[in-house]
Amino acid sequence: MLGRLLKKALKRSRPKNSTQTRTDAPIEIRMTLQESIQTLTHIMGNSTDFMVRKISGREDLPEIAICYIEGLVDTNLLNRILESWLTVTLEADQMPGIESLLNKILPAGPISKLHTTQSIISAVLDGKAVILADGMKEAFSASIESLEKRSIEEPSSQTVIRGPKDGFTEDISTNLSLIRRRLRTPSLRVQSMVIGSYTNTKVIMAYIEGIADESVVSEIRARLQSIETDSVLESGYIEEFIQDNTLSPFPTLINTERPDAVAGGLLEGQVVILVDGTPFVLLAPVTFFRFLHSSEDYYQRYDLSTFLRGIRFFSFVISLLLPSLYIAISTFHQEMIPTTLLISLAAQREGTPLPALMEAFMMEITFEIIREAGVRMPRVIGPAISIVGALVLGQAAVQAGLVSGAMVIVVSFTAIANFAIPAFSMAAAIRIIRFVLMLLAGTFGLYGILAGIIPIYAHLVSLTSFGVPYLSPVTPLRFADLRDLFVRLPWPFLKTRPQDMNRRNMVRQGMNRPQQGKK
Amino acid sequence: MEMKQSIRVTDLVCFLAVFEVGSTTLFFLGAEAKRDAWIAMGIAALIGLLLLAMYLLIYRSNPGLDLYGLCRKYFGKIIGSAVNLSFAGYFAYEASRNLRDLGELTLLTLLDRTPLMFIMLTAIIVVANTVRYGPKVVIWMCAGFLPIIILSYFTIYTLLVSSGLIQFELMLPILEEGFRPAWTAAVPEIVSFPFGQTLLFLLFFPLVKKKEKLSRSVIITYVITAICLIMINQINILVLGPTQAANSTLPLLQVVQLIDIAEAFERFDVLFVIVLVLGLGTKMAAFFMGAAMGLHKITGLSYKMWTVVVAVVIFALAFISPNYPHHIWLGIKVVVTYVTPIFQIALPLILVLVIWIRSMWTKQRQ
Repeated sequence: MLGRLLKKALKRSRPKNSTQTRTDAPIEIRMTLQESIQTLTHIMGNSTDFMVRKISGREDLPEIAICYIEGLVDTNLLNRILESWLTVTLEADQMPGIESLLNKILPAGPISKLHTTQSIISAVLDGKAVILADGMKEAFSASIESLEKRSIEEPSSQTVIRGPKDGFTEDISTNLSLIRRRLRTPSLRVQSMVIGSYTNTKVIMAYIEGIADESVVSEIRARLQSIETDSVLESGYIEEFIQDNTLSPFPTLINTERPDAVAGGLLEGQVVILVDGTPFVLLAPVTFFRFLHSSEDYYQRYDLSTFLRGIRFFSFVISLLLPSLYIAISTFHQEMIPTTLLISLAAQREGTPLPALMEAFMMEITFEIIREAGVRMPRVIGPAISIVGALVLGQAAVQAGLVSGAMVIVVSFTAIANFAIPAFSMAAAIRIIRFVLMLLAGTFGLYGILAGIIPIYAHLVSLTSFGVPYLSPVTPLRFADLRDLFVRLPWPFLKTRPQDMNRRNMVRQGMNRPQQGKK
Repeated sequence: MEMKQSIRVTDLVCFLAVFEVGSTTLFFLGAEAKRDAWIAMGIAALIGLLLLAMYLLIYRSNPGLDLYGLCRKYFGKIIGSAVNLSFAGYFAYEASRNLRDLGELTLLTLLDRTPLMFIMLTAIIVVANTVRYGPKVVIWMCAGFLPIIILSYFTIYTLLVSSGLIQFELMLPILEEGFRPAWTAAVPEIVSFPFGQTLLFLLFFPLVKKKEKLSRSVIITYVITAICLIMINQINILVLGPTQAANSTLPLLQVVQLIDIAEAFERFDVLFVIVLVLGLGTKMAAFFMGAAMGLHKITGLSYKMWTVVVAVVIFALAFISPNYPHHIWLGIKVVVTYVTPIFQIALPLILVLVIWIRSMWTKQRQ
């Protein structure tokens, strides 16, 4: 109810006219070269990095001008174009068309004809070189862009022991090539669009035709096209615009830095959204359990993967519930604690001034501060923080009698368990919910924890990610998909794709097991 | 897309199992039959099976209509609406009983110093919040609860057997005083609660999209659940003996308290209460939903609005009894004998008759 009201308010407050200032109605290119150049420099506001180079060395050819932005184009290629323009030999006597001449001298890559000033400007801003010729009604753009880009490195946020070590970079074409390299099939469909009236960010949507659900694909496409914003600087912008439930703490799109994870997702029927300028790529639709899976689960042996998944599910529960369980049991249900432990706990708590709830809140907040400081501080100060964090706030706080030793153990274990969840966005959701549960545990004990978990569970059951139930295949129950959920069966047994993402093209591999040679 | 969103037989069957277990294990059923409680429960389960078969028969006569739709169709507008209203009231009352049970259970075991009103208020808010999502979400949620419930009862059974607390000789002699005590214990008390409550499922059968195998799956689930319930109920006798089991407020909880592993884990009962609360909550949500769906159908006003109204009504109804013994007496003795048979047996029987007579009529006309 509240969500709907807020959504309405959001819709209303969104301005009707998006901020289009740079170019208005498309303008025809002026006839004379001089005039066109003047128009362009005027639109660019005499920016010093906007370069116009006029070439008039040849008498048999019309005068041309090359426009580009310094730093966005490859200077070597540019030089070569100039050189070949000045030295190109005309084969026949008659005057050749400028277009065929350009085709001859321009490097590989698409050459497109531009008819309006607006399209020239956007081509220049994309890093292309635009060639205007005197007396021509159209301009030509050549792709000689050379952006400074980071080389492919190991992803910093999702590391694996076994598996490919390459990660996405900030460059969208590199990222797409990393996916293409893994899926050499013509069925991989790629669609690009431009979002953001100021940033003009390139956004690419890709899926495998025949595996991805068509209704999901068209839904994602429609939601992407309906975005009206002036800027997209990271895929997080896109995520918040197209997710199903804006107010839910749970993410309904998963982000990853790993091309192999994306390839795996595409093969299971997910749709990938790449955004230029960020190594984080979005996958949708996604179900809850995928946030606890890692792409490494499929590379390691199945028994180890199953065990590790068990560990991850356990740490999910720990991370969500341990502090609140500690509060509830030590405040309301002491009879559950074994007697010897109870005595030592009571002895520890004797000296501490605060009730368990306050103590837990204090320690959890302290830890969150240390964690945030660890992310933001300059790298050189790192060791100092760890010393202060571990020694002063841990050991010294216990010795000073501010907190009990058991509480420090609980908080640290919770924190470490939180790091075992592979997806940061899911781990972050739990971090927030944990505080609510702690509050409920402090007021109603175990009953309060239950009263907190049931609404979360109901919310998760009702949540959908682009039409796919968030908790599938548990609710609704699909036995076939349980083979790759809490456990991971060996590959020969995973004959079908997960049913939640798609209903057709289910078979993944042959029904025959590979023959083992008889002795 | 539709396929992914529909309720399937598997989901409904999980719901049925959780619903049947629900609050049943909270009480010791068939106390009058003493050590033959299992026979009494068996009789009741068989009669309940007949009732379930009747409900399935009603459902199959018009697979697209739920209980309210059927009454409206066969009893006419005025009588049908009156019957529907009484059904909705009955469901709301059952939900309020569950709410009171939940509150009293929590008060006795988890929160002895919190006022009953706050506990029940929390419970009704949480349940109303769940019911607000509609039947699909409630039914789907049970797929998550069922493994927890099965696992905990299985653990309890294993621990009881392995720690030697179960004494099978407490069951003997069988039928010491003849068949009569078992029969009087079973009819109508145990038939009405819990087995006859499957009546509510006349509302949920039509929600299932793929109807093949529905009747078979429902009956198989019912039989398995009934057998499990009889086994769990008999634990009370096997561990506590007939007298203590009959006199205990929460017998099964007392049994669980006896478990002791390595002198470290002695109090499983607190965790077990959580399982009981889950069952109670699901049952309450089911009846709550039944009442809200009914009022939505009768009046045509929005389901979400009725959720709020019914929540208030249930909360108020839960305070009918001044104390817990009165609540138990009212529920296990009075209502079960004089009220529930009307809704679970009499009205459905009349409905079957009317449906049958109508179909005969139309055949004769042709």
